[in-house]
Amino acid sequence: MGWIKVITKESLLVAQREDLRNIMDLLEVSEKHARTLLIHHRWDADSLLAVFLEKERDRLFSEAGVTIAEPNVLAPLQSSQVTCNICNEDVSADAVTTMDCGHGFCNNCWTEHFIVKINDGQSRRIRCMFYKCNTICDEAIVRNLVSAKHPDLAERFDRFLLESYIEDNHKVKWCPSVPHCGNAIRVDGDGYCEVECSCGLQFCFSCSAEAHSPCSCLMWELWVKKCRDESETVNWITVNTKPCPRCLKPVEKNGGCNHVRCICGQDFCWLCGCAADQHHARSSCGSYKEEREKKTGQAKRDLFRYMHYYNRYKAHTDSLKLESKLKKAIQDMETISDSKEFSIKDFSWLTNGLYRLFRSRRVLSYSYPFAFYMFGDDLFKDEMTPEERELKQHLFEDLQQQLGANVEKLSHFIEESFDEFLQVDRIMGIRMQVINLSALIDNLCKKMYEFIENDLLGRLERVTHNIAPYESKGVERASELSDSWDSDDSLSMKTCNVDSYLQWDSSANGAGSSESGSPTDDSFDQSSSLDESGCSSRKRAKKEALDDPPFNLNLPAEGFDKN
Amino acid sequence: MLDLSRVQKELVDCNRDKSSGVSIDLVGDQLSHLAGTISGPIGTPYEGGVFRIDIRLPDGYPFEPPKMQFVTKVWHPNISSQNGAICLDILKDQWSPALTLKTALLSLQALLSAPEPDDPQDAVVAQQYLRDYPTFLGTARYWTEAFARRVSIGTEEKVQKLVEMGFPEALVRTTLENAGGDENMALEKLCSG
Ligand SMILES: [Zn+2]
Ligand SMILES: [Zn+2]
Ligand SMILES: [Zn+2]
Ligand SMILES: [Zn+2]
Ligand SMILES: [Zn+2]
Ligand SMILES: [Zn+2]
Ligand SMILES: [Zn+2]
Repeated sequence: MGWIKVITKESLLVAQREDLRNIMDLLEVSEKHARTLLIHHRWDADSLLAVFLEKERDRLFSEAGVTIAEPNVLAPLQSSQVTCNICNEDVSADAVTTMDCGHGFCNNCWTEHFIVKINDGQSRRIRCMFYKCNTICDEAIVRNLVSAKHPDLAERFDRFLLESYIEDNHKVKWCPSVPHCGNAIRVDGDGYCEVECSCGLQFCFSCSAEAHSPCSCLMWELWVKKCRDESETVNWITVNTKPCPRCLKPVEKNGGCNHVRCICGQDFCWLCGCAADQHHARSSCGSYKEEREKKTGQAKRDLFRYMHYYNRYKAHTDSLKLESKLKKAIQDMETISDSKEFSIKDFSWLTNGLYRLFRSRRVLSYSYPFAFYMFGDDLFKDEMTPEERELKQHLFEDLQQQLGANVEKLSHFIEESFDEFLQVDRIMGIRMQVINLSALIDNLCKKMYEFIENDLLGRLERVTHNIAPYESKGVERASELSDSWDSDDSLSMKTCNVDSYLQWDSSANGAGSSESGSPTDDSFDQSSSLDESGCSSRKRAKKEALDDPPFNLNLPAEGFDKN
Repeated sequence: MLDLSRVQKELVDCNRDKSSGVSIDLVGDQLSHLAGTISGPIGTPYEGGVFRIDIRLPDGYPFEPPKMQFVTKVWHPNISSQNGAICLDILKDQWSPALTLKTALLSLQALLSAPEPDDPQDAVVAQQYLRDYPTFLGTARYWTEAFARRVSIGTEEKVQKLVEMGFPEALVRTTLENAGGDENMALEKLCSG
C-alpha cells in the first residue's frame, strides 16, 4: 500500500518544497531551475532522474527550457542606451532585462509579455520572447516585474506555480468534493487505490469517481453511463412494451393499431416487431417472424441480462443506505447503556459487525456491475472461450452467492440485536454469530478479490484492467502532510467520518477493554450529540484526549473482529 | 493598449520593401484593422494569384498574436475553404513578440508553398491532398483562377468608387461580396441600410 496524504492549502508549499529540495540537491541546480524541470516532468522526480541518467544533462535541461547562464552572457551591457527589438524604444541599459538564454528586451516589454501569459493561464511555462527560444523565464524576474505593475497578478502567478504541484502532478489529485473542500490527495505508490479525504469523501484515486472496486475504472464509467441510459428502459419494460427494431428502446402500443412509431422515428409492426413503413401484408408479417424474433429476442436478452445485474446492484446499494441508519442507533444504544444499569456495555462487537456489513455490502454491490462486464460481450468478448467464460462465471457466482447469503445473515443478526427486549442469553448468542460471520465474510471478500485478480482480470491478454485492492479495514484515509512526513510511520487521523470509530475501537483494544461490562472509557461525555458530519462529538472528544495515537491501518482484520 | 508606434513602424518597413511579395494596407482609420496582401508563390498552384488577408490586432499586440484570416477564397489543407481561417503555429502558441506582421505574412506565403496536411485546418482539402494530389492541384489552380486573379482588380475599382462615395471600406467589401460583385445592387443596399 502506498502513502496517502492529504494536502491542504497550508501544506501545499511544504509538499512542493520537499520535491524541489530533492532535485536541487541531486542535480545541483537552483530552485527556479528545479521547478522548471519538475513542471516539465509533471512533478515526477523519478522519471526526471531516469531521463537524467539516460540523456546528458544538457539535453534534459534544454528540453525542459532550462538554460544555465554562461557568466559572459550576463555581463553588463557596455553601451548605456539600447534599442529594444520589440517596442523599438531606446532605453537605458538598466531598464533592459536579459534572460539566461542571453535574449534581452526592455522591462516594459517583458512585463507586458508576462501579463499576457499569466492572464492566459500559462504561468507555469512562460517562455522567452525571442522567436523559437525555448527558455523558461526566471520566476523571480517575472514576479518582480509584474508585481511592480500589477501586485494582484503577481500573486496569481505565485498561486499558479504552487498549484502546478497538484494540477501537473500524476501523484496528486484534487479531492472531487462538491463544494470543494480545498484539499488534494497525494498517493506515493500504486495509483489504483481508493482514498478518503480529510473532508470524509471516499473516491477512486485513479478516476476521481466514487469508490467502485472491484469494478475497474472503465467498467465503472461504462456502468454509470449505462444506468443513466437504461433507467428509462428498465422502467418501461415492466409495462407492455416492445423494443424498436432501430434503437432498441421499448415502445408502448398506443391504441389498437398495430403499426407503431418509435420516438426515434422508426415505424414498426407491433405484431412481428419488424421495421415497416405501412401496415404490411399478413404474408410478409409472418415470413420475417423467425429471424425477427431472434433479433428482438437478442435485444430482450441483453436488456434482461442488464436488469438482472442492475437489480442486484441496486438492492445492495439500497440496503447499504438503510443499514447506515443503524450507525446512529448503535450510538444511541451506547449512550443508553451508559446511563442505565445495563448488563452489556461493550458494543464493539456490534460496531465491528456493522462495519464489516458496510464493507462487504459495498463489495457485493459493486461485484454486480463487475460481473456484468466481466462475463458480457462489451469489454472482453474475445478474451475467453465460451466454455471458459461459463466455468469462471459459475465459480464467481458461487462466491458471490456465498458472500450474499452471509451478508444477509449478518444484517439480520445486527438488526435483531437492536431489539430492546432481548434476553442477555440471546444477545450473547447474537454476539457470537456476528463475530463469526464477520470473520467469515471478510474471508469471502478476500477470496472473491483473489479470484478476480488472479483468474479473471489477471488473465486478460489484450487489455489491462486494474482495480483498487480489497482493504479489509476499509478505504484508507489520507493523513495530514507534515514537514516530517517522510520519516513518519504513523498515520494520524484527524477527521471525523463514517469509519472513525475504527480508531476509537482499536485504541480501546490497546487499553485492554474487556467484554465484562466495565466501561471502556471514563471520559465518555454522556450528553453527546450528533453533529452534521454524522459523528458524535463524544468520539471526537475522546480522540483529542488520546492525542492522535498512531494507528496501523495494516492491522489484520482479525484484530477488529476478535473481540 | 495597442502599441501604435510599433504598428506604424511595421507598416512603413513592410511596404518599403516592394520585392517581398507581401504588403499591408490600412482598412479604415483604425490601426487595429489592416489588410495584408500576398502574391501566390511561383511554382505552386497559387502562382499568379493575389490573396487578401484580413488582419485584426488585439490590444495586447505584439504580445498577443495578430488575428489573420484569408478573405480571398483559397484551396489549401491549412486554410479553411469555408471561411479562410488559418492553421499556423506562429499565429497561435508559437507567436513571439519579436515577430512582425511582415514575418507573419511571409510565413503564410511559405505555407502556400509548403502545406502541412498532417495538421490540417480543412479536413476535406487535406484528405484530397494526401489521397489524390493531381485533383488537389487542379482544384487549387482553379480556385486561384476563379477567386485570386489580378482581374479581381475590377472589384478593387468598384470598392474604390463606393468608398469614395463615403461608405466605410469594410462595409463596402461585404456588401459587394453579398451582391455577388454587382456594383449597382451593392450601392442600393448600402443606401438602404
Ligand atoms: Zn521594449
Ligand atoms: Zn531567449
Ligand atoms: Zn475533500
Ligand atoms: Zn476509478
Ligand atoms: Zn426507435
Ligand atoms: Zn393503423
Ligand atoms: Zn409484421
